[in-house]
Amino acid sequence: MLQLNVNLLFTIINLVVLYLLLKKFLIKPVTDIMEKREKLIADGLNEASSAREEAAKLKVEYEAALTGARDESVKIVEKAQTQAKAEYERIVSEAGVKAGGMLDSAKAQIQLEREQTMKALQSEIAGLAMTAAARIVGEKTENQGNQDIYNQFLEEAGDAHEDTDKH
Amino acid sequence: MLEELNCETVFTIPIFGGIGVSEAVVVTWVIMAVLVGLSIIFVRNLKVENPGRKQIVLESAVGWASDFFEGIIGKENKRYIPYLITIVLYLGVSNIISLFGFKPPTKDLNVTAALAIMSMFLIEYSGIHKNGVKHWMKHFAKPVPVVAPIMILEIVIRPLSLCMRLFGNVLGAFVIMELLKAIVPVLVPIPFSFYFDIFDGLLQAYVFVFLTALFMNEEQE
Repeated sequence: MLQLNVNLLFTIINLVVLYLLLKKFLIKPVTDIMEKREKLIADGLNEASSAREEAAKLKVEYEAALTGARDESVKIVEKAQTQAKAEYERIVSEAGVKAGGMLDSAKAQIQLEREQTMKALQSEIAGLAMTAAARIVGEKTENQGNQDIYNQFLEEAGDAHEDTDKH
Repeated sequence: MLEELNCETVFTIPIFGGIGVSEAVVVTWVIMAVLVGLSIIFVRNLKVENPGRKQIVLESAVGWASDFFEGIIGKENKRYIPYLITIVLYLGVSNIISLFGFKPPTKDLNVTAALAIMSMFLIEYSGIHKNGVKHWMKHFAKPVPVVAPIMILEIVIRPLSLCMRLFGNVLGAFVIMELLKAIVPVLVPIPFSFYFDIFDGLLQAYVFVFLTALFMNEEQE
């Protein structure tokens, strides 16, 4: 029980062999697996964080692009509005000018027509007067004085003149 | 009674006038076979993803042990951890193997002495490996040269204390259990067996590797 002998050496050999065997069959595989898993997890985390960073970068990019687009659209709308306004004004003024021209020409035409009508009426009146005069001269020379004839004529002619003026 | 205490020679190798192989060595072979066999069975089909329950238990045990030793001797001494795990497994099984009817090999002074000698070499080696031979030689004369003899003595005292503590505990527990079984063979030994065979055995295994790791750490300073 209390003696040291060659079994001490045997035990040392046993322990060394046990150490090598357990290291090979137990500790190393288990540690390897655990390390592999740790590496896997670390890789996954790294990947996730890099993906997140990329997403944030893309978001900033998109936001910038969006802001640019918004600015541009505002600009485009403004430009369109000014253009439309200018076009509107141009069209309106053109239309005014055209309408004025048309009005003028219409007025001129009306004037012309009226003058023509006046001329025609005057000649008609003159004709009528002549006829009337002839008739009066023919029929009533004997009965009435010259003064009356003139008066009648002038009255008719004046009326006719006033009527045409009114119209 | 005394026969139980003796470490019998199981067989003799018939060379050099007969080398007696003691019971402790044979039981150690059994323990080795069991440990390696169980390792091979449990370590098969390990998976990185979706580990089975068996693998989780195994991993948490190994992970706990390596974390424990790493906490004592530091990350830079990771390479000593497999040895310490081996020793704690061997001691744990040896100390409780009396439950299975074997005589614990740690009851034999040869085994505890062998363990202590290996611890001694490991302790000194770790110190030399870390700081170099020069520093190792010098550290005997610190803090004052007067303590040098005591420091040198410590090389032997530390493993001796490890050896004797383990041997004494296991032998004492064994003797008490044998006496109890001789006097009251029924029921009464059960609670005592829990304490002396299981608790004390595991505690001594723990203490042995814990102190070895602690001494290694001390030696590396």
